[in-house]
Amino acid sequence: MAEQPAPQRNAQPDFLRAPPHTGPITALQFISRILDKTGAPNRDKTIDHVAAGDPTTAVTGIATMALASMEGLKRAAAAGRNLILSYDPPFWSGNDDLDRIEGNSLFLEKRDFIRAHNLVCFNLHDHWRDRAPDGVAEGMAKALGWTQYQAGNPALLHLPPTSLESLARDLQSRLDDPTIRVVGDPKLEVRSVGAMWGTANQMPAIKLLNSPVDVVITGYAREWEAVEYVQDMIATGQKKGLILLGEVASVDLGMKYCAEWISSFITEVPVEFIGSSKAYWSVG
Amino acid sequence: MEDRFSRRSVLSGTAALLAAGPALAQRHTLTAADILSRMRVNIGTEWREGGVDRIIAGSPDMPVQGIATTMMATFDALKAAAAQNLNLIITHEPTYWSHQDRLDQLLDDPLYQRKLRYIQDHQLIVYHFHDHWHAKQPVDGINTGMARKMGWTGYRDAATPRLYRIPPTTLGDLMRAFQAKLKDRTLRAVGDPALAVSKVMTSWGNCSSFPGIPFLDGEADILVIGEAQDWDLIAYAQDLVAAGRKKGLVVLGHVLSEQWGMEFCADWLKGFVKEVPVRFLPLIEPYWNPARPVFEINTKT
Repeated sequence: MAEQPAPQRNAQPDFLRAPPHTGPITALQFISRILDKTGAPNRDKTIDHVAAGDPTTAVTGIATMALASMEGLKRAAAAGRNLILSYDPPFWSGNDDLDRIEGNSLFLEKRDFIRAHNLVCFNLHDHWRDRAPDGVAEGMAKALGWTQYQAGNPALLHLPPTSLESLARDLQSRLDDPTIRVVGDPKLEVRSVGAMWGTANQMPAIKLLNSPVDVVITGYAREWEAVEYVQDMIATGQKKGLILLGEVASVDLGMKYCAEWISSFITEVPVEFIGSSKAYWSVG
Repeated sequence: MEDRFSRRSVLSGTAALLAAGPALAQRHTLTAADILSRMRVNIGTEWREGGVDRIIAGSPDMPVQGIATTMMATFDALKAAAAQNLNLIITHEPTYWSHQDRLDQLLDDPLYQRKLRYIQDHQLIVYHFHDHWHAKQPVDGINTGMARKMGWTGYRDAATPRLYRIPPTTLGDLMRAFQAKLKDRTLRAVGDPALAVSKVMTSWGNCSSFPGIPFLDGEADILVIGEAQDWDLIAYAQDLVAAGRKKGLVVLGHVLSEQWGMEFCADWLKGFVKEVPVRFLPLIEPYWNPARPVFEINTKT
């Protein structure tokens, strides 16, 4: 035992002195720091929330991922990363509505895995998109080498002239996306691309398609909304195209960038991106 | 906007005419309202207001020269119908790019205006026939038509019409069968291609987490759907497979997963519409993938 130094007569009492921060940092403390750092305002209704786990858990490492899948959680737990920041949530609904899932055996299995490994799952979606610039758009542009083509907005890109087919092939190989789907003439000349990484909802997609872009790239659009709208544009002679990557493929590298960004201001624990495996396969 | 009130009164008036007997009905021109009345009588289920089924464009008193059934009232489908003088279009899916055919945000949209003008110029009537065709008794009309296309009618489970007991195959081989029969370039699957499959649950068209999760958790080896959101049912199927369950999910695409149900709809209509031609207009899959880049649309003008 080291000898205790004699207390100084004029020293401040302990309760007035801020303790040195050497103890563990909780999930909630990290989440607050990350949300603050995005600079994004809180939406009135947000899906960014602790979807599972105890937010007072001490964090041993942070993992970012596109979807808090069973496989992603297992890989994170194996690597000792117990704060999971995912773009899409663990319990198979946009807002983690658990009403109808409580007795479901897979739900119980996943919940118990999260508990057993002291994981905390936070849905980092709205703040990451509302950040300036949009974190997913920025990350995807960086990953695709497109930052030089950004037209003042990371989601609007002026590419060197290419064709719809070449662009689709390029995305397929660079995002390793075997089930990419494309609407439009493969020979369509493409210079201007509007990106809606993630999901393309009806009216925002329609507005973007009517702006001077040749192609809209997105993850998922309903096959009775933007898909048919672009088909109808084509049927009336307009030169437009739509590329559907799948939700995960369209945001995965945006969450990779998220890990890099978090590492720039969180140094107390390791921060790691966990890539998602492919959602689907197809037949040739 | 159309006047829903007057449409109802026209419909009830026509029902009275029909009730009066065929002699009276023959004297007046066949209108869209006549066809809709006969559909109500023949559907075999209670007709309910409040869903999406309604006249989207045109009016019920317009004369009908011919009927086209189709999966989606795309501009291409409308052109194909007009070219064949089939001016009543019975579509399973929307005309104006949302399930409810909402127009409040589209009134200034140039494509909406152009589509509406085309419909008016060609005297078309577009009827959205979704809810009641699914509710058809004794079996959902889409399910009947899709089973027929796949050659599965004899495999349907008596108690659960969505369930099929097909000759044993694998998920990979079944994918190839769907690809060949439905001409599906971009179908996708979750699960092991070698998975043994003999019980197939079907939810043709869109399938959300509910009822999709109970369908996947049930006795079937796989679930076949048209589309689902990647973060709900697709994510569930991925987790199910990752957790070691012997299950699979086939995602055909919305149009291809249901459209042969509208071929059956044309056959059904022919049973009680004899005065004018009734034809099914198949749509080409909206997508291609880089392995087979093609540019196919139904009409190019």
